[in-house]
Amino acid sequence: MTRYGLTDKRQILLVDMNSFYASVEQAQNPGWRGKPVVICGDPERRSGIVLAASREAKAFGIKTVDPVWEVRQKCPQAILVRPRMETYVEVSLRIMEIAKRFTPQVEVFSIDELFLDVTGTEKLWGGPWEVARKFRELVREETGVVCSVGISYNKLAAKVCCDTMAKKAPEGIHEWKAEDIEREMHPLPVRELFGVGSRMEKHFHSRGLVTIGDLANYPLHLLKKRFGVMGEVFHLSANGIDYSPVTPNTFAKDMKGCGHMMTLPRDYESAQEVEVVILELAEEVGRRLRRMQKRGRTINIMCGYKGFMGGFSRQFTMSEATNLTRDLYEAARKLFHQHWNGSPVRSIGVSIDNLVDDTVQQLDLFRDWERERRLAYTLDNLQDRFGKTAVLRATSLTAAGQALQRAGKIGGHYK
Amino acid sequence: MKIIILKNALVQAIQNVHKAVSSKSTIPVLSGIKMAADESGLRFTATDLEIGIETLVPTLIDDEEIVQVKEAGAIVLSARFFGEIVRKLPGKTVEIEVKQNYLTIIRSGKTEYNLHGLDHEEFPRLPQVAGNQVFSVQSDILKDMIRQTSLAVSSEEIRPVLTGVLFTLKNGNLKFVATDSHRLATRESIVEAPPEMEFTNVIVPGKSLNELGRLLADNDVLVDVVVAENQVLVKMGHTQFYTRLIDGQYPDISRIIPTTFKTGLTVNTKELQGAVERASLVAKESDNNVVRFNIKHDRLEITSASPDAGKMSEPIDEIQVNGDELLIAFNSKFFMDALRVIDSPDLLIEFTGSMSPFLIKLPDNPTYLHLILPVRIY
Repeated sequence: MTRYGLTDKRQILLVDMNSFYASVEQAQNPGWRGKPVVICGDPERRSGIVLAASREAKAFGIKTVDPVWEVRQKCPQAILVRPRMETYVEVSLRIMEIAKRFTPQVEVFSIDELFLDVTGTEKLWGGPWEVARKFRELVREETGVVCSVGISYNKLAAKVCCDTMAKKAPEGIHEWKAEDIEREMHPLPVRELFGVGSRMEKHFHSRGLVTIGDLANYPLHLLKKRFGVMGEVFHLSANGIDYSPVTPNTFAKDMKGCGHMMTLPRDYESAQEVEVVILELAEEVGRRLRRMQKRGRTINIMCGYKGFMGGFSRQFTMSEATNLTRDLYEAARKLFHQHWNGSPVRSIGVSIDNLVDDTVQQLDLFRDWERERRLAYTLDNLQDRFGKTAVLRATSLTAAGQALQRAGKIGGHYK
Repeated sequence: MKIIILKNALVQAIQNVHKAVSSKSTIPVLSGIKMAADESGLRFTATDLEIGIETLVPTLIDDEEIVQVKEAGAIVLSARFFGEIVRKLPGKTVEIEVKQNYLTIIRSGKTEYNLHGLDHEEFPRLPQVAGNQVFSVQSDILKDMIRQTSLAVSSEEIRPVLTGVLFTLKNGNLKFVATDSHRLATRESIVEAPPEMEFTNVIVPGKSLNELGRLLADNDVLVDVVVAENQVLVKMGHTQFYTRLIDGQYPDISRIIPTTFKTGLTVNTKELQGAVERASLVAKESDNNVVRFNIKHDRLEITSASPDAGKMSEPIDEIQVNGDELLIAFNSKFFMDALRVIDSPDLLIEFTGSMSPFLIKLPDNPTYLHLILPVRIY
């Protein structure tokens, strides 16, 4: 900060719900409190992995993404719970409503993380610490969930502060002022910096950059040369500089793209079977686009082979942006056939980006867009009113179809 | 083979055939130009198997010796090297001699090149086009027909037939049609053809036609066009141009073109062109470059807007309107493309409602027609 002579006088809070799914379960099932609770997929299906573990379960070394069988080894007495996504979404929304009592500047960062910009609310609440304390209290009272709060002058510092300090703080709250960055953030391992994953960590380690401070003091031009724009972003981040605003969520407006992916219940060997799922995914993607009033041009297909033996991810830019299932399916299917090597398929995903507003439609001599559009929106409407299974494609009822299964889930997990 | 040729004639011949040289073929010989010398002169050929161009440099033109053939024969030389080299040769004449193993010596002034050639036997022979379906048309008219229609072909391979221009001939009337399904251009012309000659569904690739357009001279010399089963041959003086045709059935467009209209507009071409171009500057490309016409009884207002950039409006008062008032939106790129190939000072635009195709016509030339489909705004 001082190094750049820049000042950022905002007061940003990052709220992180501790072991969110597990906390919700423990809050709603008093008998589970103080016990190792693990939220995981169906152990019978191989997509069964740990989604969340309670504090008690974490003490046994259970981590997110561990396969279920490993949990049983590490902690035979763990209470295995199927996820109830609908409930978690609901609790998450309730917590957001609580946050909004303090400021309208609330940004949902993930299902269990929120940014609050409380700049200028001192007269109302008495400063960020007061907000943090009251907020934690209200959340615990109203939902039973415990949360940690990082306070700082920008989003980046608040996030790192929460992850590394607030979670361990007795009160669950910690604050970094500009002058604390050098003393408290710089000694941390570089991995703790927001945006640094295992790959970047390796890159930095190979240059002898072990702590965030090392990175902060590394010559900017070398970072830029090696990592381009991202190099500069890392440099600024390591120095505690981040000007991104807290943007109250405008889900649809800022959507850059969307997609769906699933692990199949068994490996699909025939193209025909895979096509059924591609169609279902294309339909879901199309529905999402239509709901956002968007159209997309670049379609991506991701395909994973049996036993994690490779796969591919390829994209194609269509001549015109579309949100009609037929076009999305045709493009995705073509891509699949172009790149599939015939291996049994374990997982498959379809996504779209390059979005434009669905507000104009170039008419076509040989195609009645208007009709197709009306049909698509009518089907969406039927599904919205009478449930996802109210109207299905006939192929979804074949053995390969997944739509019925998925209709009972959120994000691939049980509701 | 051993010949001496005027440098200018050589440069010109290479330039003529160069367009047909394959730029990314896996067959090495196609990246070359074939030269064959016999008593008639020196013949140059290039092809990428999609199009082929052959041009003859005759031994004599108006009693002036252009090529002196000392020894007949043939060779294929890399177009890239040969073309560059020839243009930079210092002398007025060039001597080309083929030795053993396709080694080719090029001499001009004091310069001598030794180039590695390729076996001319490997070079594909251009198809023999059976000449039963021949018509003749003025070079400049054919060039104009190509210019006015080929802009509307589709660049998408999804429907291959739409990447070509449809040729039809009936009662001596040649008609070109091209469409990418959002706009359609047609141009007709009376040609010299046997009265019984007739064809439909001849689809010539748009790319080939653009190359042909470049070869055609801006004069009224007649060129012969031979239409065969799956190719078309165009003979222009000493140069012949072949192209493959596109397989498939061209969609029926007869019912697409409206014959009546509800709003008719007569307007100055330049003024409209300028206004639409200015309006398009704030139109958003990702939203189909939408520009709107608001047609009142005595004036036309051109507007455009985009949420990011801002908006624009410009009225044109000097117009004649027949029929209803109308508000219509369309892709300005299509409109400007159409106006770019129009030479007439005024034009007629006929609308049949904001959701129907509109026609751009020329008051002095009924043989040209351009149709544009509007954009629907939700």
